[in-house]
Amino acid sequence: MPMSVRERAARRRQLLFTLLAAAGALAVVFPVLWMALMMFKPEAVMFARPPVWRFPPTLEHFDYVIEHGFVWNLLASLFVAVASTVLVVVVGTPAAYAFARFPIRRRDDLLLFVLATRMAPPVALVIPFYLIYARVGLLDTYVGLVVAYLSFNLSFYVWVLWSFCRELPVELEEAARADGYPRAHVLVRVVLPLLRPGIIATAVLCFIFAWNEFLYAFLLGGKTIETLPVAVPKLITSQGVKWGELSIVGIVALMPVLVVVFLLQRHIVRGLTMGAVKG
Amino acid sequence: MYLVSRRDGAGDEAGWFPYVLMAPALITLVVVALVPFLYTAYLSLHEMQYARVGNWAGFANYARLLTNARFWHSVGISAAFIAVAVPLEFGLGLLGALVLNQGVRCRSIIVPVLFVPSMMAPIVVAILWKIMLAGSWGLLSYNLLERFGILTGLSIFASPALALLALILIDVWQWTPFVMLALFAGLQSLPLMPYRAAAVDGATPLQTFRRLTLPLLAPLMAVIVLLRLIDAFKIFDTIFLLTAGGPGQATESLSLFTYKTVFDFWDLGTATATAVVIWVMFFLFSNAFYQVVKRKLRAF
Repeated sequence: MPMSVRERAARRRQLLFTLLAAAGALAVVFPVLWMALMMFKPEAVMFARPPVWRFPPTLEHFDYVIEHGFVWNLLASLFVAVASTVLVVVVGTPAAYAFARFPIRRRDDLLLFVLATRMAPPVALVIPFYLIYARVGLLDTYVGLVVAYLSFNLSFYVWVLWSFCRELPVELEEAARADGYPRAHVLVRVVLPLLRPGIIATAVLCFIFAWNEFLYAFLLGGKTIETLPVAVPKLITSQGVKWGELSIVGIVALMPVLVVVFLLQRHIVRGLTMGAVKG
Repeated sequence: MYLVSRRDGAGDEAGWFPYVLMAPALITLVVVALVPFLYTAYLSLHEMQYARVGNWAGFANYARLLTNARFWHSVGISAAFIAVAVPLEFGLGLLGALVLNQGVRCRSIIVPVLFVPSMMAPIVVAILWKIMLAGSWGLLSYNLLERFGILTGLSIFASPALALLALILIDVWQWTPFVMLALFAGLQSLPLMPYRAAAVDGATPLQTFRRLTLPLLAPLMAVIVLLRLIDAFKIFDTIFLLTAGGPGQATESLSLFTYKTVFDFWDLGTATATAVVIWVMFFLFSNAFYQVVKRKLRAF
């Protein structure tokens, strides 16, 4: 059956819009691809003008990164991010549920306090943290860094998980209550299983925030705990910047984000808008 | 009566239970946020010699801050950054959202890719753009700046005239996709009925957009603009890693100023006063955000 004129126009319009959107995605991908290419670029053509696309690939940058112990930085990053995320989930989940389900006295004030904690700029918060930690000996410790990460991640977690809790149907809990189960039992056996997707999505975002974090790690982790972002200045040496190695660290730091973006896309909008958009 | 009230609305008669649930989180937040804030406020009211707390100083530190030309300069830089970056991100993001909303194909690939920059570590953003704009051999610096003679023999991050613009454009690159996807999610959740009615009445696409989409989307737009304002205002990492506030003070935003006052100059009197001022401002921002989400968006 031949296409009508209108159908063809609609098709053409759709193609145009797809191309536009693809161009936007390409603008995002392009610098990342260029960085990925730098991982294999030999020093000889690194500074070629005009920049070259084709070259015999080398693995020398990987050797350097491994020899200089960047694996330890990777492990430090992983440990801090996982530890702070686990802590946040344990402490934050009951609070988010309580905000959603019960009439709390001064609820608005408490919620605003949680939100304001999240919004506070790290640069203002790191000053008292640094001074207090210097006094009590928590500088350069894992405990200190993990606790500092609670300031932005716990508030984020409570706030966003609260938006998931609001969507839980109350009927199941009421039925369990009517059967005589105590509230704590209902929370563990009825609410938590229903809430699991929300908990996972929010916790993964917390992991990413901790994984990405720079300023606290830089100032509070100091010399002993170098997370991956903090290790980057080591690649700016007296002989110049190690561009290939820098790209490797960049790509490794980007890996978890790439995974999360494809698995969690619906929840990212909710997370980044602090639960304001359902996504 | 008693039995009825116990069964409906799970909230009644909960007694101390919700407070037990909230206590660990709230106590933690008090320790990691409220105590540091109060400590900073306490320090800001004293004479500080490095980290040593001196005599009560009243508001002397604040008076010194408000007459500090470098402070006002950094406020100006932050204001300029926001004034250019946020409208650009919003305008481009809105256009992008409208495009995405037109039944674009391959959405399952395009949408995740667009999420990447907003989830990306600042350190990765810094590395990416350091490479793209490196000296005279970076892909962009060679092909754009050198070839067209805009800037030769100098890294853009060392150029007093262009460094701030470069940082702004990097922020636009990083955050426009987020604005686009958030508005797209908003567009997708709009009710269909008004649009059917508009189509029946023969409204043009432009009329539909102005009379329906804009007002329906306005609360969400306010939320997103507020979020972008807040985030752009506290931007630190990317600037710190790419220019460290330089050259000179050309990109020294308020965050950078605060950082340098503590960790470069060890002027804790000025720094703690700045921190308190920033904190109060952000509390007001947070309150605005809270009110918009609660009353306009009716999210809770």
